[in-house]
Amino acid sequence: MTGWFPIFLREMLLFKRKLFKLGYLFSAMVVPVIYLITFGLGVGRSMQVQGTDYLTFLIPGLVAMSSMTNSYTWVASALNLNRLYFKTFQVLVQAPINSFAIMIGEVLAGMAKGLFASILIIAVGLLVAPDFTLSWLLILTLLLNCFLFACLGVIVGMITKSHEDTSTYNNFLIMPMSFFSGTFFPVSHMPKILQEAIAVFPLTHTNILIRKSMLDSEGLTALAILVAYAITFFLLGSRLIRQYSE
Amino acid sequence: MIEVTGLTKSYGPAAHRFLALDNVSFHVASGTVFGLLGPNGAGKSTTIKVLTALSRPDAGRCIIDGIDLSMAPLAIKKRIGVVPQENNLDRELSAYENLMIYGMLHQVVNLPQKIQQALEAVSLWEKRETTVNHFSGGMQRRLLIARALLTEPTVLFLDEPTIGLDPQIRRQLWDVIRKSRRAGRTVMLTTHYIEEAEALCDMIGIIAAGRMIALDTPDNLKKTVGEYVIDFADGDGNLCHIMTRTREEAYEQAKTLSNGVTIRRSNLEDVFIKLTGEKIE
Repeated sequence: MTGWFPIFLREMLLFKRKLFKLGYLFSAMVVPVIYLITFGLGVGRSMQVQGTDYLTFLIPGLVAMSSMTNSYTWVASALNLNRLYFKTFQVLVQAPINSFAIMIGEVLAGMAKGLFASILIIAVGLLVAPDFTLSWLLILTLLLNCFLFACLGVIVGMITKSHEDTSTYNNFLIMPMSFFSGTFFPVSHMPKILQEAIAVFPLTHTNILIRKSMLDSEGLTALAILVAYAITFFLLGSRLIRQYSE
Repeated sequence: MIEVTGLTKSYGPAAHRFLALDNVSFHVASGTVFGLLGPNGAGKSTTIKVLTALSRPDAGRCIIDGIDLSMAPLAIKKRIGVVPQENNLDRELSAYENLMIYGMLHQVVNLPQKIQQALEAVSLWEKRETTVNHFSGGMQRRLLIARALLTEPTVLFLDEPTIGLDPQIRRQLWDVIRKSRRAGRTVMLTTHYIEEAEALCDMIGIIAAGRMIALDTPDNLKKTVGEYVIDFADGDGNLCHIMTRTREEAYEQAKTLSNGVTIRRSNLEDVFIKLTGEKIE
């Protein structure tokens, strides 16, 4: 079961090369920082949400959103390109390792990229939002969210038939989740019928859990749903890798 | 040893099914070089993909070194080396990093030493820190071969290994393949270069439209269709060929033809044209 490590190492070597290019750091930060300035420091300066200042409410949501987009996008995009264009995925399929090892390697690499982007947002949050603090529940939720969306990235990376297809999934999955799942405002502000639809999105439950200071019944439900999503996505991704055939 | 029986593979939905391999069977003895010859789209790459566990067949049985591919794919993957037609190296990693990751995936022991040997064998040790996207096509091809040999496979698959390379590099790669055979490896390669097949292969399979239409040694294939060829121009100036079994027969036939007649020994291209009615492109 050590077959996952070279896959993870490969991704980290590629990541390290990108990391030292200024453009990468900027692209990982730009969207959440724009949201932070627009909604946090601009629109929400004088707002209170759920009994706290808006910035303290917003930062965990941005951490959740950023971990989602980075874990998901890097895996989905890289896997799609490696499978269809660069053909480097063939090397993994032809190696004497099983589908779980490939899945774990890809997911851990996606998690590392998601965590890296999230740490940048957390650092900014600690600087600009005086009431924002790091809790063990936030870290657990962050890890779970990165894992879950890296798994989803594998699924999308394996089923898309062209690189353009990944944008379609972005538009139908990631974009609605970013705005409707409680990143910028509580889901309870949405119309009742939409709230039920939004409850299907995993990020909705991440946003519930990541803002908890203690694990209450609502938090436990959110945690259970996230774990269920994570297991389902992991097994589905592993299955798609196992069934891969050119 | 490679044993393939009744291999069938199709692509696409039922209404527009494309039969890439149609009941293909062949046997490659241990320590020999087997060449699969055919035009583009004949099924050569599909055969390699199935044998290297990249593609699942619809039907058929593939046994490599006595192991059934469908029963124990991981055991097969430990024994084989693959040089794909398309470059699937990590272009943003160095030559050394490419081999390191590959070696780790295949659990190669004494990896740094093996990487050095593999890179030296293809004269790339000095370029080990260079990223692959700075390599020429020939260097990338050599690195692909070094990568395939890193695991010391017992069976080596090469899909169009010298496509697009200049003659000098091509001959260097032929030497690597010959060394592999001398080391006791079974080698299976696909090519549409006639001279490559003639120079390297102990056995030839000719595949067209997914079907194996001939399978024998190069000499026997030539004997089957005629060892001598008369090239001549017809009344409209078109180049024509007549194949004969003996030199005497060729001389007799040539006497009946007009000027511009040449007699030569047949080659595998003549065999291919005779069997398929088309030229290898």
